Amino acid sequence: MPLMAGLMARFADQRPFGQLAIAACLHVTAETAMLVRLLRAGGASVGLAASNPLSTQDDIAAALAVRHGIAVFARAGVDRRGYYRHIEMALSEPPGGPDLVIDDGGDLVNTLHTQAAALLPRVKGGCESTTTGVIRLRRMAAEGALAFPVIAANDTAAKRLVDNTCGTGQSVIDGILRATNTLLAGKTVVVAGFGACGRGVAERARGLGAQVIVTEIDPVRALDASLRGFLVLPMAQAARVGEVFVTATGTCDVISAAHIAVMRDGAVLANAGHFDTEIDVRALAGLAAAVRHDVRPHVDAYELGDGRTMLLLAEGRVVNLVAAEGHPPEVMDLAFGIEALALAWLAGNTDKLPAGVHEVPADIDAEAARLVLATMGTSIDALTPAQQAYLESWRIGS
Amino acid sequence: MSADQLPYHVADISLAAFGRKEIQLAEHEMPGLMAIRAEYAPSQPLRGAKITGSLHMTVQTAVLIETLVALGARVRWASCNIFSTQDQAAAAVAVGPDGTPDDPRGIPVFAWKGESLEDYWQCTEQALTWPDGDGPNMVLDDGGDATLLVHKGAEYEQAGGVPSPAADDPEEWRIILDRLRNSLADHPGKWTRIAGNVRGVTEETTTGVHRLYEMSRAGTLAFPAINVNDSVTKSKFDNKYGCRHSLIDGIKRGTDVLIGGKVAVVCGYGDVGKGCAESLRGQGARVVVTEIDPICALQAAMDGYQVATLEDVVATADIFVTATGNRDVITAGHMSRMKHQAIVGNIGHFDNEIDMAGLARWPGVRRLTIKPQVDEWTFPAEEGRAGHGIIVLSEGRLLNLGNATGHPSFVMSNSFTNQVIAQVELFTRTGEYPVGVHTLPKHLDEKVARLHLDALGVRLTQLTKEQADYIGVPVDGPYKPEHYRY
Repeated sequence: MPLMAGLMARFADQRPFGQLAIAACLHVTAETAMLVRLLRAGGASVGLAASNPLSTQDDIAAALAVRHGIAVFARAGVDRRGYYRHIEMALSEPPGGPDLVIDDGGDLVNTLHTQAAALLPRVKGGCESTTTGVIRLRRMAAEGALAFPVIAANDTAAKRLVDNTCGTGQSVIDGILRATNTLLAGKTVVVAGFGACGRGVAERARGLGAQVIVTEIDPVRALDASLRGFLVLPMAQAARVGEVFVTATGTCDVISAAHIAVMRDGAVLANAGHFDTEIDVRALAGLAAAVRHDVRPHVDAYELGDGRTMLLLAEGRVVNLVAAEGHPPEVMDLAFGIEALALAWLAGNTDKLPAGVHEVPADIDAEAARLVLATMGTSIDALTPAQQAYLESWRIGS
Repeated sequence: MSADQLPYHVADISLAAFGRKEIQLAEHEMPGLMAIRAEYAPSQPLRGAKITGSLHMTVQTAVLIETLVALGARVRWASCNIFSTQDQAAAAVAVGPDGTPDDPRGIPVFAWKGESLEDYWQCTEQALTWPDGDGPNMVLDDGGDATLLVHKGAEYEQAGGVPSPAADDPEEWRIILDRLRNSLADHPGKWTRIAGNVRGVTEETTTGVHRLYEMSRAGTLAFPAINVNDSVTKSKFDNKYGCRHSLIDGIKRGTDVLIGGKVAVVCGYGDVGKGCAESLRGQGARVVVTEIDPICALQAAMDGYQVATLEDVVATADIFVTATGNRDVITAGHMSRMKHQAIVGNIGHFDNEIDMAGLARWPGVRRLTIKPQVDEWTFPAEEGRAGHGIIVLSEGRLLNLGNATGHPSFVMSNSFTNQVIAQVELFTRTGEYPVGVHTLPKHLDEKVARLHLDALGVRLTQLTKEQADYIGVPVDGPYKPEHYRY
């Protein structure tokens, strides 16, 4: 993770988080460990909880606690109650509560506002790592419920490209292949949602020889998918022909009982979105006469009364993290590098930002991309002064 | 002077300067031919060769002709299709690189765009008729028409006369018989003498190769033949990469339609269909393939294409391309059910893949020519449906040639380098090729590919002796067994 490794020295020198406490709610993986160590190098004390009950890599959690002195509250396979208990514990470390927060999905910020509001006055701001969380935060802000500024660290041009399109695109395919070992060539793959993630999944499935159908609710994205040569159908029609389904929408009930009712025998259902609400797993269970768990690791076979079987991957949770290893380190290096740079900028500028959701400043995004390019050995051009003047002037034409 | 003794017959000799500029551009894109010139010109392996060529008289063919000349050959040329001559190329070849329109120093060429069938066979005979009264000693053929004329002439001379055409014979056959009848009367023994002098023919295309194998089986083939068509560097490049390039070029020049987002149906997933499907997908079309062969159908499915029957998609697709090599693939009935403004075109060799005759006979159908090679055919309104029009490209003939300019120079450089190497092989090693149909040995196929690598900046890896021994091939090739499919 060369970007964060490079930032490690910079942060150790500048100590942007001197004496600050940070509460973080993130997938506890090797890449997250690097981010937490970077925050530590920058002077912060960190309390860490998992942002998903299944995604914790227990060896990483143990190493963070033992070798790096991080207050970690995470265990793979924890139940719902334990999951939220862990978030509350991360928020109470140190006892006065955090100065800054990092969230991934919005559960920590939500818990902070609803279960630990007494800690809110101390919180100066935070970062949110994922689209789902940003959507929740914007709703909170719209209702006036968000008490501090949050930077939508997910939403930068560089991150959308590398993390969502490339990282999610690759690792979702990886998760499906590891879970099912199915040949995608010749299969009909239905991708719900043609945002940055869905596009990445759709393009990669096509690259493996699948026929890809896209479902969308946004006409601009649907047009984009069409012009890229994908068949765009409503889910009600796609459900009848698909063999592998991937949801990447950020919303709930994308695959519902009515869709399951018309699906082909042996359909594979996978979710690439953050929450397990995109596939209506409860409805699936309701339709099933029997469920055979773990027919392969992370594959549950739902036997419907009519003789069809649906294969649900990762219990409908985010398949790339559960059935594979999440994003490759290069992707998380950029994502977390941006997040660390943004949080460092926020630490020095909290008084300038009102409560609400804010974009990552464009120069931070550019700085992160520039550092990554340097690690890849890629050189790029710079505008000449004459070009700069041309771009800034409205007087000069041809 | 009779027409047979004209030094050349082209549409407009003043087009030579334009043709020469195009030839110079093409030379840069034909590195194989230029490398052959550099390699062989000093040793003049074709000195003494008298080559009659019958092959589309295009700019690329001009580079082929001048390569043969550079290797020492004397050459006479006709086109092998009444529409395919590029008149500026014919003029430039007649004038030659060192001549002027007033003082032409090129080769005798008999070709112009828009010949009648009578013109066409006269041009073919002129190309076969050398001023010394003898014929050629080598033939370079595309489709087999020059070879056919020599063989039929000799056959009828031995039979003592030319038969009368049967009532149901095609018009073209009657024209061929008339020409041979006159020829036998004017120059008795001419064709037998030519057939005896020809050392061999190199054949460019599937159709001609098919004729040669038939003659060989029947025992009527008079001289050895090299099947250039089945060199990998010919057929794969023509069929796949050539069509991949020129299909969308033809569709765009013909219609200027945005291909992204359209549903395009490719009928046939052989080499041509594979190239077509790839280029359409690359432009953002959603491609549906139709096939009759389960292997090709499975290939298409594994490549991620929907495979359907034409009936499944005929009413919903936007673009239809036939690439099957078979007849009646798109019928008038299909076209009557298409969307308004659906585009229909053929990239297969013959014009029978789309049933144009059936379309013209459809009750109430009207044809409106939008521009050359682009027609809108309007079907009358019927119960429950307003009248709809479809766009037919190139009257159902090869749309990549009709609406665009066919294969680009680089692709033709591969084909024609095979042709030149085959000519050198047959002319200099005649004894090693008995009468029959031969393919070029694989090391020469590999050589053709090798000659094109530098121009693309390709850096080839060299086998070590140990590696070569390990897989049992020579370090310098050939690397693959004859049955390898590439």
